Amino acid sequence: MDTRAAPEAPCLVACPVHTDTRLMVERVLEGRYEEALDLLLEANPFTSVCGRICHHPCEESCRRSKVDAPLGLRQLKRFIVEATHEYRVRRRGPVRRTRKERIAIVGAGPAGLTAAQDLARAGFGVTVFESATEPGGMLGTTIPRYRLPYDVLREDIDDITALGIELRTQCAVGTDIALAELQREFRATLLATGLSESRALGVPGIDSHGVLLALPVLRAVSVGERPPLGQRVVVVGGGNVAIDVARCARRLGATEVTMACLEAREEMPAWEWEVEEALEEGVKLATSWGPRAVLSDDGRVTGLELRRCVSVFDDDGNFSPSFDEDETSGLAADTVVLAIGQAADLTCLKGSSVKTATAGRLEYDPETMTTSERGVFACGEVSTGPGAAVEAVADGHRAARAMHHFLDTGELLKQAPREELPTIGDLPEETIERIKQRARVEVGRSPGEERVRDFSEIERAFTEGEARAEARRCLACTTGAFVDEDRCAGCLTCVRICPFEVATVTKTASMPEEKCQACGLCAAVCPAAAVALKRFGAERIQEDLSRLLSERPKASPSAFIVSYCCLFETTSRKFLEENPEDVQRTGVARVLVPCVGRLSVPDMLLPFEQGADGVSIIACADGECLYPTAEERLGARVEEAKRILEEIGLSGERIELWRTRESAEVSWTSFWEISRRKLAGIGAEEQGEET
Amino acid sequence: MKSGSNLERVLAAGHFAVTAEIGPPMDCNGDVVLEKARLLRGYADAFNITDCQTAVVRMSSIASAVLVMREGLEPIAQMTCRDRNRIAMQADILGAAALGVRNCLCIAGDHQSFGAAGRLKGHPGAKNVYDVDSIQLVAILKGLRDEGRQQGGDEIEQRPPLWIGAVWTPMGDPIDFRPWRLAKKVAAGADFIQTQGIYDMELFRQQMKQVQDMGLHEKTAILAGIIVPRNLGMLRYMDAAVAGVSVPQELMARMSAARKSAGDDKAQARRNQEEEGTKIAVELIEQARETEGVRGVHVQAIEWERKVPEIVERAGLLPRPTPPAEA
Amino acid sequence: MIVAERKPLGEIIGFIEDFRKVLVIGCGGCATVCLAGGETETKIVGSALRIAARKAGRQQQILEDCVTRQCEPEFVEPVPGRLGDENIDAVLSLACGVGVNLLAERLGDVPVFPGLNTKFLGATAEPGVWVEMCAGCGNCVLHLTGGICPVARCSKSILNGPCGGSSDGKCEISPDVDCGWELIIRRMERLGTLDRLVEIAEPRDWSSSPHGGPRRVVREDLRQLAAEAEEEKATTA
Repeated sequence: MDTRAAPEAPCLVACPVHTDTRLMVERVLEGRYEEALDLLLEANPFTSVCGRICHHPCEESCRRSKVDAPLGLRQLKRFIVEATHEYRVRRRGPVRRTRKERIAIVGAGPAGLTAAQDLARAGFGVTVFESATEPGGMLGTTIPRYRLPYDVLREDIDDITALGIELRTQCAVGTDIALAELQREFRATLLATGLSESRALGVPGIDSHGVLLALPVLRAVSVGERPPLGQRVVVVGGGNVAIDVARCARRLGATEVTMACLEAREEMPAWEWEVEEALEEGVKLATSWGPRAVLSDDGRVTGLELRRCVSVFDDDGNFSPSFDEDETSGLAADTVVLAIGQAADLTCLKGSSVKTATAGRLEYDPETMTTSERGVFACGEVSTGPGAAVEAVADGHRAARAMHHFLDTGELLKQAPREELPTIGDLPEETIERIKQRARVEVGRSPGEERVRDFSEIERAFTEGEARAEARRCLACTTGAFVDEDRCAGCLTCVRICPFEVATVTKTASMPEEKCQACGLCAAVCPAAAVALKRFGAERIQEDLSRLLSERPKASPSAFIVSYCCLFETTSRKFLEENPEDVQRTGVARVLVPCVGRLSVPDMLLPFEQGADGVSIIACADGECLYPTAEERLGARVEEAKRILEEIGLSGERIELWRTRESAEVSWTSFWEISRRKLAGIGAEEQGEET
Repeated sequence: MKSGSNLERVLAAGHFAVTAEIGPPMDCNGDVVLEKARLLRGYADAFNITDCQTAVVRMSSIASAVLVMREGLEPIAQMTCRDRNRIAMQADILGAAALGVRNCLCIAGDHQSFGAAGRLKGHPGAKNVYDVDSIQLVAILKGLRDEGRQQGGDEIEQRPPLWIGAVWTPMGDPIDFRPWRLAKKVAAGADFIQTQGIYDMELFRQQMKQVQDMGLHEKTAILAGIIVPRNLGMLRYMDAAVAGVSVPQELMARMSAARKSAGDDKAQARRNQEEEGTKIAVELIEQARETEGVRGVHVQAIEWERKVPEIVERAGLLPRPTPPAEA
Repeated sequence: MIVAERKPLGEIIGFIEDFRKVLVIGCGGCATVCLAGGETETKIVGSALRIAARKAGRQQQILEDCVTRQCEPEFVEPVPGRLGDENIDAVLSLACGVGVNLLAERLGDVPVFPGLNTKFLGATAEPGVWVEMCAGCGNCVLHLTGGICPVARCSKSILNGPCGGSSDGKCEISPDVDCGWELIIRRMERLGTLDRLVEIAEPRDWSSSPHGGPRRVVREDLRQLAAEAEEEKATTA
């Protein structure tokens, strides 16, 4: 079954690079962290970066938000990256050059490097020109280290450079080498230079000493400098860069840091959590104020005069602030930092015929991604305007596709700026009510006053147990039940047992995808075996089982047990990894199931057919099950399976149902031990009856 | 006279009729029947011979009826719809008539799953028949007698002279429909009716009121059923488990007091209860007699037939009249 | 639907233990709906039989199949071929008795055994509870009894009920069994047609029921058309 059939999970759809976060969570649950990393890197080479600073539209779209809180997908991503570091280093390596064409990429930011990766993988020769000393673009030079340590960024970049890309740092196109030369030497060129300049402001006194631009301040901080900002700092701007500056200022020792922005609090363009974190760190907000003049004394900044901003946007939503000049205020300051927006540095075009549009922007076709010059493409913020890192990555992928097509065909490829995928509908109210709430796992942050002492990271990663606990909350969108209509007898069994009242029958059954919670209860009891699950269906259980049973000890000293275990109760992957020697040694073959509530009676009997002496079913701890009624229904099915055994002269006690105590690691081994002892007794008893 | 039976004649003469019950044995020992007959001779006008009551195999009703006739008693052959189809039932009743049986009581019969209410194995795996129901059976007998026609339509020459009876459970559920069902039995041709045992005389009288309003008591002779209570356990069982029988608390209390008064003496407790039960039976007969529309009593002393003479005597119903047979 | 119930596995094993290769065939019709003989029950029975064979040390192969409906010749048509191809020497049918009969007529010298006990024509009263509602007596009297069948739902099938054994709406045979006549009377009361019950229902003609011998329904028109089509096929061939 194709789990990627349309429509997709909302998290995947919301992600600019369509990371299959839903599948990522499933991999985490199954302990397949390496495969999760593969999947992440396939979509996004800047996975480490995004694990830290992504604005996570996936979480914003998570359907669990309506139930309690969205899944912590960004943190899960970070967990995967950190859990698989060695694997990642191992999988790194060069790709084979299969194409003679060479491609030049200007700018080693997320957009440029993503395109470089894709094109290198496609077999092209790729050279990346970067004016700075280190690759990474804005990620490396402006995002403060407390949010994104450089080695995290480096981890992503190392993957890309390991492909065999030529990276020429400290080589500024337009200065050190002309764009025209690149156009001659390379079959195609990609401009991915980003927005590296801070915009200035035209108000009286702006030239005073102590008025700084945001990006130079952040760049200095990024290389470990401590620019003297004084005690009182006013940051002009309400965006993410302004926040970064403000929070850096606190870390540099400023005691009074105020952000003055045109927008009202709820209009601030910065991510809400960034604003919250800044407030925690003692940053003050002066919202709905616009700068009127920089106050100075002897050419040295003393403060900023403000005027009330009445509205920021006009009726059409365009930026067009209007002020009430009668309402003014002032902020004392030793330094004023301007963080009112970024602009492109188009020095690279010097001497080339690539045309610019108005206001220092490239002439650019957003569909074909070309500039005015054939063979010169552009992507990332330089062409799209300001955006998030993951959007730059998405644009890099798009540019690579466009250039690949161009090099294959000599023609331009039209692509929509954003690929819209179908997604499943919202969770209906009545379904929301039936879903058990489960608190989001939060790692918390150290207190603001501690954080401002230095630039160390403010957030820790999930532990394995936390990651698994959080992954369990996933609603597993799009992986629910589906019906084989040819088999369905319309018997209504699914309708009668569905704890979410999802299933309906009109001639045959259907489980609307937007409602189905993928608990599998219907599939477990469907008398026609017409219901299957897209995620971990019955066939998967059978596959696991036959593989495990082939490892059955040849001469087992004691009983051989097949144990179906609730995947959700593991806090590590200790029990998730298959280990044939383990099976030989312990006589226990584990089949991990996402909720044992979905086990059918045939699932419980199958091990006996293949020679198992006992079946131990380990459910989650009391009351922990995500699915209402699943525990009771499982109990009833276990009883049925026991009756079947009794009917054929085997002890029903050969099947046991356990409830996890505390966690898998704490309790499971002892359950197996008890079962083993019990089975020895049962074996002797049955033998006795026969003779 | 439809049948000329003693029961018909007693009723026709306006006497308050008394019937009693004889249960045949589970084997072929006719002496048991004869002995019971001898014991009861003269204490009732006719004697019901049960037909595998509570779905337990017993000597056949018709055969037992013939036996009691040897002792000079008049039998009422009971016939259930459970065990025979319309062919067998007509055949048997014609045979019974040939042997001199004049009364036949048509009943549905206890379901075969009964097995003496669990006290015996019985034959719960038997296949029942229920080709016709008791009302249809009444009509069939009437057809044989009055129209000389079998149910299938074939005519017969000699018609069986039968006094046709049916039973009525006046307080059975659904109670509001019971008088209507009685009406159906009467319409089908029931000459006499024996009721289920009655303890709650007040409720019975309410039902009888409706029966009178419907005029049924004039079209049929209703004999009130009196089941002699032997002890408290039996009363409780009847109240709880027998459909259509409810025992008022007051009777229960009387029986309970009788038992208690003996203290720990079990034999005395039994005697006390039997005496109290006899008293209750006598009182019930008297009350039935005072109930309008009731033309007799059907006294059932289950497995305690020997008590019947005393009860009938104490109820002042002796000696039994002997109306002359028609010429 | 036809309601059936799986026979005890011990009894089933008794039928098939001497056969080397047994095919268990489920039915996708009523037997599936009443949770007795569908795909899943077929798997369960198949599994149980294999476990039992293993335990007893019998060299026996148990195969499974499930046909759309065992009561249709077209659906069971492929079965004999399969038996021959795979040297199957016995069949266990998890259909109602109809399926077993139809297979028996078509399986040549391969024996077919019943895996289910066919119980009755009934409806689901609640999940896991099925009740008999029709006796298939061949001459419906439901119009006389408010739509509730005295033949199927009265323990004595009496047509002039209720008998004296009705108590608190339950039948004398068990407190779990509703008195059919109580249901009829309450229903007709609601319909305002209770007075119709005063009429005595005559002894009925049971010749339409199983008592009249094996029954068949013939639609001459359809039969005629099928015969003609068959003939045409023969002539064109």
